[in-house]
Amino acid sequence: MIPQSLHTAALLETWRQELPQLEQLEEQASAMLEEALREQNIQLNTFQHRIKTEESLTGKLEKKGYKYQTIYDITDLVGIRVVTYYTDDVDKVAVIAKKIFDIDWKNSVDKRKHQLNSFGYLSLHYICYLKKGPLRKIPFEIQMRTALQHVWSAIEHDIGYKGAVKLPPEFVRQFSRLAGMLEMADDEFSRLRTTMTEYRRQVQSLVRSGQFTEVSLSTDSFRQFLDLHPFDRLNQRIAAVNQAEIFPAPMMQYLQVFESFRFKDLGDVQKFIEENSEDAYQLAVSQLAITDLDILSESIGLQNLCLVYAIKQGGGIYGIKAVYDAINGEQDSNITLAEDVLHQAQQLPFMHK
Amino acid sequence: MKTTFEEKDGKFIMHFEGRLDTASSVQTEQEMKVLYDCEGHDIILDCEKLDYISSSGLRLFLALLKVAKTKGSKVCVASMNDNLRQVFAMTGFTHLFEFL
Repeated sequence: MIPQSLHTAALLETWRQELPQLEQLEEQASAMLEEALREQNIQLNTFQHRIKTEESLTGKLEKKGYKYQTIYDITDLVGIRVVTYYTDDVDKVAVIAKKIFDIDWKNSVDKRKHQLNSFGYLSLHYICYLKKGPLRKIPFEIQMRTALQHVWSAIEHDIGYKGAVKLPPEFVRQFSRLAGMLEMADDEFSRLRTTMTEYRRQVQSLVRSGQFTEVSLSTDSFRQFLDLHPFDRLNQRIAAVNQAEIFPAPMMQYLQVFESFRFKDLGDVQKFIEENSEDAYQLAVSQLAITDLDILSESIGLQNLCLVYAIKQGGGIYGIKAVYDAINGEQDSNITLAEDVLHQAQQLPFMHK
Repeated sequence: MKTTFEEKDGKFIMHFEGRLDTASSVQTEQEMKVLYDCEGHDIILDCEKLDYISSSGLRLFLALLKVAKTKGSKVCVASMNDNLRQVFAMTGFTHLFEFL
């Protein structure tokens, strides 16, 4: 029988000789997986890969070198770690790994299923092989877990608790409570994502079908509404006065103005456009027609609609200033702008109805 | 139309003086090119002595804003008089800039 130290030394020597192959495998396998994940649009928290260091390998061989006949009985010489944000995505990553690599099922572990009584180090580990090529006989490991599982694992490592150590029951209980909380949080984040995706789909379909009164006003619904370019007609009318170019500009900040107007749904926004477009056009033209300004922001129509609405609501200068405050941020000079707009509006027909 | 450039406390500052109209915009465009290399620097357009801005001037400011955004720099417009501010407001561009 070969003494243990000689066996370890022989395995280490083989590892050194095989290092260039391991480096090639690390590069190839990680590139294949990363590319496949990118194609499927899976958002990752972390994607890491490494070759086991000589120090770590020596430690492993000193502890349980007798278990390994050859260096490739050690299945994590090359390791890839994929950390996702959501639990559902761990399963997606697993499906992708199964598709592009051969899996050694005998040595792969789903610790999520094995530890029914505790959260602990929940992670999915696959031992894989490339499907073809000269490196196809060298195993490598893929660890897949969520960001919360990853954090748990890091804290567990820092505290030095590995489950095997005999701890007083109150500490074990504290670990279990925290573990349960993290597992629930992971599930809830996944559930929330699914619910929000479903909500976005519904909003999209209601907005597309024009059922605006059914859609509550929110960041998502307003964004979908803007995709329909509801202010284009008014913008083009205003731009025609000076044959102006329309310059793209963000309009999401107007959601805050709508909230201050107490609009509840997209039906309110649609009604606001229908009832105020003519007056908004008159207001814009009364200012622009006496200039030769031939570049306008894409928000020009919406801005004038809001100003007209604020005036009609009887808010006076401070009502108009509130609109400018919401759009431009609170500034003293907004009061001067408000005074000018009110002065201009006083000449227009809607003020005398 | 006159412009002066200075770098102060890590910020790029350009002082404008006179009328930024179609006639002066070609020259001013060249002078503003120094601001385009703004990675890591916020930009201040000091308009205290700017008397007038036309659409051509607005276009120069908007072009600079576009470049600065891609480089992660902020563009602030400082000390603008009420007439100039009204030009920004009536064209709907006020919310694109930060005013000091």
